[in-house]
Amino acid sequence: MSYRHILVVFAIALMSIAIPVSAQETCTADSPCDIEVWVIFGDHRQDWTVDAANRFNEQYPQFNVVIENPGNYTQIVDNYTLIREEGGEYPAIVQVQDIQQQFALDSGFFVLFEDVLGDREEVLDIPTNLDDVIDGFNPYYTLDGTLASFAWNSSTPIAYHNMDLWREAGLEEPPVTWQELRAGCEGLRERIESGELEACASWPFTGWFVEQWMAQQNQEWVNNGNGREGRGTEVILDSPGMIAVAEFYQDMVAEGFYLFPSPDYFGSLQLFNQGEVAVTMASSADARFMDDAAAEAGIDLQTSLMIYNGDAEGGWNGNPVAGASMWISNGLETEVEDGALAFLLWLSNTENSASWHTASGYVPVRDSSVELLGRLEPGNEIFWDRDENARTDIEDADWFAANPNFLTASTQLGGGEVTNGTLGPVFGTMSETRTLIQETMERIVAEGLDPATELAAASEQATELLQEYNLLFAGE
Amino acid sequence: MYIVNPFLLVVCVAVIGAGVLGTTFAFRRGNALLAAFIGGIAGTAGTLSFMAPLNFCTFEADRGFWDVVIGAGLIAASSAALLWLAFWILDRSARGLNVIPQADSHPGAFNGRRAWIGAVFCLLPTVGLLAVFSYTPIVNTFRFSTLLARFGTQRTAFVCVDNFSRLITDSDYIRILGVSLFLAAAIVIVGLSFALLIASMASQPVRGARIYRTLLIWPYAVSPIIAGELFEMLLTREVGVVNTMLGLDVPWLVEPTMARWSLVVASAWNLIGFNILFYIAGLQNVPDDVQEAAAIDGANAIQRFFYVTFPLLSPFTFFLVVTNTIYALFETFGMIDVLTQGGPLRSTYTAMYNVFKIGIEGQDLGKATAQSLVLLVVVVAITIIQFRVSRDRISYTV
Repeated sequence: MSYRHILVVFAIALMSIAIPVSAQETCTADSPCDIEVWVIFGDHRQDWTVDAANRFNEQYPQFNVVIENPGNYTQIVDNYTLIREEGGEYPAIVQVQDIQQQFALDSGFFVLFEDVLGDREEVLDIPTNLDDVIDGFNPYYTLDGTLASFAWNSSTPIAYHNMDLWREAGLEEPPVTWQELRAGCEGLRERIESGELEACASWPFTGWFVEQWMAQQNQEWVNNGNGREGRGTEVILDSPGMIAVAEFYQDMVAEGFYLFPSPDYFGSLQLFNQGEVAVTMASSADARFMDDAAAEAGIDLQTSLMIYNGDAEGGWNGNPVAGASMWISNGLETEVEDGALAFLLWLSNTENSASWHTASGYVPVRDSSVELLGRLEPGNEIFWDRDENARTDIEDADWFAANPNFLTASTQLGGGEVTNGTLGPVFGTMSETRTLIQETMERIVAEGLDPATELAAASEQATELLQEYNLLFAGE
Repeated sequence: MYIVNPFLLVVCVAVIGAGVLGTTFAFRRGNALLAAFIGGIAGTAGTLSFMAPLNFCTFEADRGFWDVVIGAGLIAASSAALLWLAFWILDRSARGLNVIPQADSHPGAFNGRRAWIGAVFCLLPTVGLLAVFSYTPIVNTFRFSTLLARFGTQRTAFVCVDNFSRLITDSDYIRILGVSLFLAAAIVIVGLSFALLIASMASQPVRGARIYRTLLIWPYAVSPIIAGELFEMLLTREVGVVNTMLGLDVPWLVEPTMARWSLVVASAWNLIGFNILFYIAGLQNVPDDVQEAAAIDGANAIQRFFYVTFPLLSPFTFFLVVTNTIYALFETFGMIDVLTQGGPLRSTYTAMYNVFKIGIEGQDLGKATAQSLVLLVVVVAITIIQFRVSRDRISYTV
């Protein structure tokens, strides 16, 4: 046999192996294709998601969506990165936290949502209806002009007020600006000084809130349009907006109105639930926990917009969505990729997004979901019953009328302007910078330091870190 | 462009090495010329050991002052180590002593000319495992410490000794080291004092002493993170058990000094079982006749403790001081993360916690590995000091 003969035989042998394999890749009800989804939830929210996946699988038997919980946000990205680098089998869909967007984009492990979608208006008969998504959401997850991932668990920090205490301070409506808060706290001064109350306000001392305050003031703090018009290369923390935040904190602490909580996120929430402070701020996803605790303690709880700087230009301009979004891995078979896309659209369709809201407290992704929750009919099966692990009817026709504190987050996220300032920045070292902002603020407030000087030093540090990141991930 | 020509640098250090070893042996028995030659090789190898992988980058023209200092320090340290080794070998051979330990020839040892094959065969599994899980990571640690490297990208950038030199001028890092040393000292002193006190009480002949002793060891079975969770439940200002039960409003974890001492107490508690175990064993070894003799001589209980018991426990104390220091420096970061997250105002932010924050959370591998090497040097230095200081004060015999 000549060399050429061997080659031909080899080629035929190769094809005979390859053909059945590629034929097997077709997803059918008999041999459904697996779509593995990594989420951070290991509690009742995972139960809801598994239930949703099962319902999707029933409807689309050619797919088998499997929900896995490999850890928290950081662990998920770390594990996923390791698997990808080592060439192992990886999930089709990964839940990525907002502050890791740039990393997800730079990693080169994902396809962008909009690139997979193309100009299709429906995928596997599921309408995309991207216009129906709450205004700021898709712009928030749009990177380099392309919608990169799809919103799922979305939240925003809101204020939780003890209305009994505010009425004692002479307020009928909860204070929503820093200035109103300051004035309201004056009304409680005597009770604070006599030790009856711990303080007027206490909320987690986190960099996340500072970022939100910057967005509310419509101020960018990363160059190139908050990193949304080009890769951000400079972090600017000593801008007027950030200094205003520092001075607000300094004033509140100096007057004894703000109490530094324990490092635990729930510390200040507990203070609020004991009636020791008149207001706290926390994620909208904590609304259920806060509602239950207030009912138990007999506190008249009312939520409001996250308290904002009333002196800022335009007052309240908007809050960016927080939480996480769903990214689709690259390198999938086209059919599986479409299946993943279909699952994401289905997961956040009008009914599912509304149900997810009742299960988790996260904000519904679509305007139509908010609307649906306001006019429910018998047989809606929207409500997630944790005890039964099943969907049941909501008794009230209007979910938000029965649970008014759940609407605030949707109002806040849907009501603002959409600008690079209100969307907040996108850059590779957002997580470290959040910590840096928090520590710098803590120093400024606790040690009475000059905000401008300290924040300028922090800017340098944050910029250096970002430039190192850019050098490694973008070679620039 | 270099501020010093690398070749010239190697020659200089080689000449110094040759000079040092040559002159040393000129005044001793032995061949001065051979010593000078070996000294030259040691100097060359010492310089190249660090500088060849670094490509003499610390002496490039655009490097900072501290880069040059670190470069010179590395050359000095590695050359000195090699010269000392050369001196030791030459000195022993000049005195007719064996340099390489001779193989035992008793039955069971490998004998014969091919003995090394059997030996290598037996060593292979261990060496193989160590190579994969220990030596490779160590080499990589050194390599990464000279890089700008982040998790999630294959791209790296060589930054010479930047990761080290920036620490020297970083006042934050100096403060972090200070906090680490303070906490380590406090944990060791508080932990050992209480352990000794409790061990002394538990060693008394009381009913149920064995049960007490067993129970006292329990805290050691709790991992630092769980211990941190427990103390968080106790000390959280708002809903902590301590504040709630006693009707207090003490900012245990919110005020810097208190947070620091809360961490010390939590760590000392976590370690107390381990310490008590050793002290009880030690106390059981203190001979009764010595105590009796001291008692007959008129020493009261306190005097007997300080002049008889405590000195006799010194080997245990020394061992515990070393292990406790290493625990305080390396193992507390999990507890810190749970209890205080390094705060408030970085009052409990230790060097190891910084490595964790930078390397694991910040994914900044280069800086984290550099800092872990710094920490290694600090621990080795502390341990050497502890050995030196206590060498004359420990008595292993009665």
